[in-house]
Amino acid sequence: MISAKMVSSVTFLYLACTVLYFNYFAFRSERLGKFATGLSWITLLLHTAAILWRWVESYQLGIGRAPLTNMYESLVFFSWCIALLYLLWERKIKSRIIGAFAMPFAFLFIAYASLAPGISDRIDPLIPALQSNWLHAHVITCFLGYAAFAISCGVSIMYLIKIRKKEQGKKESGWTALFPPLESLDDLIYKTIAVGFPMLTIGIITGAAWANYAWGSYWSWDPKETWSLITWFVYALFLHARFTREWRGKRAAFISIIGFVAVIFTYFGVNYLLAGLHSYV
Amino acid sequence: MSRNEDKGLFPSLWDSLSSLRLTIALLIILSVASIFGTVIPQNASPEEYLQVYKITTYKILRILGFLDMYHAGWFILLLALLCLNLIACSLKRFRTTLRFFTPELRLDDGQWKTYSPGQKFTQNGLPAQMLPGIRETLSRSFSPPRVVEASPAFHLFAEKGMFSRLGVYFIHLSVLVILGGSLIGSFYGFRGNVNIIEGQEADQVILRNGEHIHLPGFNVSLEKFSVSFYPTGAPKEFKSILTIREGGRKVLTESILVNHPLTYKGISFYQSSYGIAGVERVILNIKDRESGKEVSLSAMMGNLTEIPGALSAFSLSHFLPDFQGMGPAFQVIFSEPNQPQQKFLILQNHPEFEEKRPGRYRFMIKEIEPRYYSGLQVTKDPGVWVVWAGCFIMIAGFYMTFLMSHRRVWIRLTEKGAETFIEIAGSSHRDRTGFEKEFQKIGQALNDSPMGLKEVKESEGHS
Ligand code: HEM
Repeated sequence: MISAKMVSSVTFLYLACTVLYFNYFAFRSERLGKFATGLSWITLLLHTAAILWRWVESYQLGIGRAPLTNMYESLVFFSWCIALLYLLWERKIKSRIIGAFAMPFAFLFIAYASLAPGISDRIDPLIPALQSNWLHAHVITCFLGYAAFAISCGVSIMYLIKIRKKEQGKKESGWTALFPPLESLDDLIYKTIAVGFPMLTIGIITGAAWANYAWGSYWSWDPKETWSLITWFVYALFLHARFTREWRGKRAAFISIIGFVAVIFTYFGVNYLLAGLHSYV
Repeated sequence: MSRNEDKGLFPSLWDSLSSLRLTIALLIILSVASIFGTVIPQNASPEEYLQVYKITTYKILRILGFLDMYHAGWFILLLALLCLNLIACSLKRFRTTLRFFTPELRLDDGQWKTYSPGQKFTQNGLPAQMLPGIRETLSRSFSPPRVVEASPAFHLFAEKGMFSRLGVYFIHLSVLVILGGSLIGSFYGFRGNVNIIEGQEADQVILRNGEHIHLPGFNVSLEKFSVSFYPTGAPKEFKSILTIREGGRKVLTESILVNHPLTYKGISFYQSSYGIAGVERVILNIKDRESGKEVSLSAMMGNLTEIPGALSAFSLSHFLPDFQGMGPAFQVIFSEPNQPQQKFLILQNHPEFEEKRPGRYRFMIKEIEPRYYSGLQVTKDPGVWVVWAGCFIMIAGFYMTFLMSHRRVWIRLTEKGAETFIEIAGSSHRDRTGFEKEFQKIGQALNDSPMGLKEVKESEGHS
């Protein structure tokens, strides 16, 4: 299939973008930075084309469904969401500095899709439970939320590295000196979560609406549902922690990282380690 | 304030109930407990548990409610505590929020400093002369202001997005609404199953706990069930055609699919499973060994079927869905004139057995037409609309909280001799950088206005 080949090439391009952002970071060269941004947009464009082409291929196979329904497709889409949100953010905050901490996520997830054994890139027709428009709304909102959380996790790591240097009383030198100030990082963590949290919420709601149509129950505490609720609790915790003195800053950054661990577990762990209704995605 | 004074148990209880620290603790406990709920299988049978746990572990888990955790008293108590916490916290904060609904039309000098003053301008003339132009500019570039005319200074105040301050209350209210909706469902609703065989009807459903519930004044019958498969063998579509009858009178006929339920009188029917209840008809090839001729005919289960052109007849008396692991089989009762009746088995997947059986006719099964049953999930949940309303309120709350902000702008016109000083200040309760731009635009609009204001640079500005 052509689309799967496109995804493989896009994977290598994301690796190149990641390396470029790291180099931009290390050498502080404005030209490298521009190059990184440019290549990332081109990669995103090709990535979009790969997804659309897979959609076309599903029609050629006589199946005709949006490419959002199995592990492979969702990973490819997840990576796309991360790259898109990151690039939009880069434009908005006019800083490339978090690219080195966001692009690796886009690369890792698409690399996992195209390289991990046991993840099939076949286009299978949809089983009856998946034949619902709620599916699309559910997958798109969940993964936009997850992507925002991935970026927030990247920024949280930067925050923790920077504050650690500071706490050790070291002079700001070397590469952490290049990081944005702590307050800006803290603000970015908050802003990404302020995007991710409503998205995750809408993702859970659309999932509930879908379950209600398919099984007559909007909530049945199956492991995937419960884990998405746990993730939701963790980010609610983050939002409230900021209003208390003792939980602000470093602890909040930790909560954001734990939140992303919960996202990853909701996404992979539940499928591999726990049984439930969602085992198909 | 008076609440915080030490008045024994009550105020401190109130303080704890309305504290964010309790929220944080509850969210952590709820998360950790839910993790246990996903690791320990819920609502499984004792045998299943005993395969995984020792008997003492099993008993302890059962007593602690970990085997049906999300309905255990302590879990519900945690949720109730979260609700109380939410209500208490919202009540406590609401007064502070309410303050913003009676706006401060003018700032005193201290506030003036904290609200980051923007540009300053001067113009010859009295404030009253300047007022219409400035009011017009502010209306155009931001929002229509309210004016306090008091000598020696005139104040203009304009605001936008005040409702975003209520967003958090909407979000918190929605949590209560959603939980309330789920309570309504658990008190006034039910969830059950019913299996209906094609051509039959049902007027009650079986709940999880084994209880039977009658459908209120109607029954439902399965006209037909069908299943289709993809070439890969994966199921493509399950479909049941259902008819609802009330007092024997047909009310409606509709087909249901997965993701496409039928709702009648608040009760919904969902396609959830299917199976084979028996066989209706079998298509057979019967070969006459003497003449070598072969005929194809269809036999109804249990009926006597004659073999064309002969005096023999047979009936299919029993269906065995899986005979000794060799697949579907039928018992045939065969009679010929002047012969004792014979009974034998024929297997669909093993025609070679038939070859070996002595006798004039050889029976081969070509096709089995099964009679299906359809497994329906039947639910009634009068609270579901409350839950959706809650979800809607929550999304509206998010919009107000995260995408809107309460922005306020003040302009002060101070009379200084023959001149008037014009200063502007502004504040936004979130998205400060976004507001910064908007604020600068207001300054720009004043600068560009045809009134011909002269900008005062910071160094020469007055306090
Ligand atoms: C699981 C349920 C809850 C959810 C989803 C939730 C959601 C939120 C959200 C999204 C915000 C806005 C945060 C921000 O502006 O950055 C917020 C703020 C807040 N929440 Fe909650 N919350 C929940 C439970 C609670 C509880 C139980 C309390 C009880 C004390 C509480 C108290 C507050 C307070 C005091 C604020 C700050 C309001 C402000 O001054 O802006 N929340 N909540």
